[in-house]
Amino acid sequence: MAAVIVETKELVETVIASLVAGVGMTVIFSVAIWGVARFADLSRNERPLAAGAAAALAGVALLATLAGVVFGIVVMTRK
Amino acid sequence: MILVIVVGTALAFDFTNGFHDTANVVATSISTGAARPSVAIGAASLLNFVGAFISISVAATVANDVVNSAVVTPTVVFAGLIGAIAWNLITWSFGLPSSSSHALIGGVVGSAVAAAGFDAVLTDGLIGKVLIPAVIAPILAFLVAGIAIALIYRVVGRQRPGTVTRGFRYGQIVSGGLLALAHGTNDAQKTMGIITLALVANGTLGANADPPLWVIVSSALAIALGTYSGGWRIIRTTGTRIIKMDAAQGFSSQGAGAAVILASTHFGFPLSTTHVINGGVMGAGAAKRVSAVRWGIAGNIVTAWLLTLPAAAAIGALAYGVTAIFGSGALGPVLVTLMSLSLIVAVFARRSQHGAPVPAS
Repeated sequence: MAAVIVETKELVETVIASLVAGVGMTVIFSVAIWGVARFADLSRNERPLAAGAAAALAGVALLATLAGVVFGIVVMTRK
Repeated sequence: MILVIVVGTALAFDFTNGFHDTANVVATSISTGAARPSVAIGAASLLNFVGAFISISVAATVANDVVNSAVVTPTVVFAGLIGAIAWNLITWSFGLPSSSSHALIGGVVGSAVAAAGFDAVLTDGLIGKVLIPAVIAPILAFLVAGIAIALIYRVVGRQRPGTVTRGFRYGQIVSGGLLALAHGTNDAQKTMGIITLALVANGTLGANADPPLWVIVSSALAIALGTYSGGWRIIRTTGTRIIKMDAAQGFSSQGAGAAVILASTHFGFPLSTTHVINGGVMGAGAAKRVSAVRWGIAGNIVTAWLLTLPAAAAIGALAYGVTAIFGSGALGPVLVTLMSLSLIVAVFARRSQHGAPVPAS
C-alpha cells in the first residue's frame, strides 16, 4: 500500500536519471574543458602529438555532452 | 462567463509564476557573466515557451490525481486559484521564498475540501505525486550539484583558471537553456492542468481528457511573457540580489536543476522549480565551502514548505466560502476578483510606502 502511494519505482528512476544526467553530463563536459586547457598548454610547449590527443579527447567529450542533452530531451518527449 | 473568469485567472497566475521565477532561471548565468541580462532573459522566455510543449504528464497529474474531478466545479477551481495568487502576493510582500506550485495545489485542495469535504481529495495522488517529490527533489538537486562540482574541481582544478572559466561560461549557455526549458515544461503544465480541470468540471471536456492545444499555447505564452516581463525588473537589481559563484558552480547547479526537473516532469511530478534550483545552488556552494551557503535561506525554504500548502488551502477554502455565498453563477467570482484586485493594490501601496522587502534569495 505504502509503495503504491509513494510510487517507489518512478521516484527511484527519477533519482537515478537525475544523478546520471546531472553528474554524468557535467563531468563529461569538464573533461572537454580539461582537453581544451591541455591542448593550449601543450601547443605552447611545442608538443603537437600530445596536444592533438588532448584536442581529440575534448572533441569526443563535447560530442558526448551534446549527444546526452539531445538524448535526454528525446526521452522526455517520447512518453 | 464563469469559465472565462477561471481561464483568465489561471493565465494571470501563470504570468505571475513566470514573473516570479525569472530570477531563479537566469540569475546564475548573469551572475557568472555567462550571458548578458537581455540575452539570458530573452532566451529564457523563448525556452519557457518551447518547454511547455514537451510533455503533458504534469498537467495530467494536476488535472486528475490531486482532487476528484467529479466533485470539482469551475467555482472550486476559481477559489483555488485565488488562494494561490493571494498566498503568492502575501509572501512576495514579506519577501518570503514561496513556491507558486505548492500554493496552486494547496489552493485547489482547500477549495475542494470546502466544497465537498475531505473525500474530494485524492490522498494517494497528493502524497505520492506532490508531497513526497516536493521533499525529495530539492535534496536530490543539492546532492547532484554537490557531487558534480566536487568531481569537476578534481578534473579541471590544476588547469589555467582563464580557460576553465571561459569553458564553463560557454557550458552555461547550454545548461541555462536546459534549465529554462525544464522550468517552462513543469510550471506551464500546472496551469494547463488547472484549466483542463475547469473544462472537465464545466462539462466542456470528458474526465481524464488531455489539455486542448489552445490551453497549451495560451499557458506557454503566459509563462513566457511573465518571464520576459519579470526579467526587466531583474536587470535593475542583478547587482545586489544575486549570490556570486564561479562559472563551474553555475554550470553544475544549472545542470543539476535541469536534470532533476526534467526527470521528474517525465514521471508527472509537479515540483517547485524554485526549491529545486535553490537546492542546486546550495549544493554547488556547500561542496566548495559549507559556510559559503546562506543557510538562513535554507531555513526560509523549509518554513515555506511547511506553510505554503496549508496556508494556500485555507485561503482557497475561504475564497470558496465567500464565492459560494453568491450562488454558482458568475457574481461570486466577479466580486471575489474585485476584492482580490483591491488586495493587490493594497499590497503594492504598502510596498511603495515601506520600500521593497529584504530579498529572500
